[in-house]
Amino acid sequence: MTILQRIKNKVRARSIHVAYVDVGSCNGCDIEVLACLAPRYDIEQYGIFVHNNPREADVLLVIGAYTPGWEEKLAMVWEKIPDPKAAVAIGNCPISGCLFNRRESFVDPPVKKHIPIAAEVPGCPPRPTEILQAILSVRDSVFANWEEEHP
Amino acid sequence: MGQSLIWYLKEFARIEWIKKFLFAKTAPLVTPSYFRGFPEPTGKICQNALFCMMVCPAPGAIEVVHDEDGWIPRIHKGHCIRCGFCVEACPNGILKSGRILETKEREGTSLLFSFRIAIDLELCTGCGNCCTACPVNKVIDAQMGAGGHSSNDEVIMRVQEGDIVVIHEDKCTGCKTCEVSCPTGAIRIARILEGYQQPVQEESQ
Repeated sequence: MTILQRIKNKVRARSIHVAYVDVGSCNGCDIEVLACLAPRYDIEQYGIFVHNNPREADVLLVIGAYTPGWEEKLAMVWEKIPDPKAAVAIGNCPISGCLFNRRESFVDPPVKKHIPIAAEVPGCPPRPTEILQAILSVRDSVFANWEEEHP
Repeated sequence: MGQSLIWYLKEFARIEWIKKFLFAKTAPLVTPSYFRGFPEPTGKICQNALFCMMVCPAPGAIEVVHDEDGWIPRIHKGHCIRCGFCVEACPNGILKSGRILETKEREGTSLLFSFRIAIDLELCTGCGNCCTACPVNKVIDAQMGAGGHSSNDEVIMRVQEGDIVVIHEDKCTGCKTCEVSCPTGAIRIARILEGYQQPVQEESQ
């Protein structure tokens, strides 16, 4: 890796776009993601821009317990994201289904079965700080050796 | 003119500004110690009272497992919702989370459990499976036969003349073995949880 490539990787990692998709949750985690945008936590000071468009995204935040309505659509959203990309599961729902994963319910967690998940944030709901930390830890690995693989 | 341009450049290239631009972050990434986190062990010895599992509202969040050293509650992240009920319900203070334990001590609060046995006599066939499966019955009357008949009055429930009779509801530990063993689903165990606060003693005058 040349120095120029390293600089490219580093600069790209400091400027990423995030898209979020709610695959059937109670909206608690959506509100916590929203809190990340607010001045108290201010996700944009880290160069993370929440622009809800998968075509431009680098990181996808998946929220919710995967209801049947999302069966092919979540994979479609995931395929629309250009490489390099990573998905972060926010909250208990995409990890285990939590309270929705009961007998005779139609949810199909974990989301890991349907799209590859790079990081998981447990909690019901997780704190904005934890969401922020997860995105920050993922963004370094997303562009870690991207220039090398795709010169 | 040249002098003023330099002045402007100097004005805008202040080191403190550049430092702020590159490194200044608000510092929200610290979680205060009084926030309720995932419950952690305090180091006291677990007595296997299982109150934590009984009170837990999230399915599969807490399990009391037998380790080499003894019983130990295990929290499953991804299931736990950090409500802190297990911390509050534990009679021995095994777990800690935020300042729940201090508040509990100061306010003198506790959670009390009781169980109610509901039997649907329309569905019940009087087979006695529940009576023989019950682990408490087994301890009290080891001679209880396959029909669930017993001459012992101390058992939780027994079969009398083809019908099931609940005698000592208060001895139920809520294990729900009877529910599992019932062929018709006639018996149900309801858990009743009550908050209790010790009355504050008034100072004598």
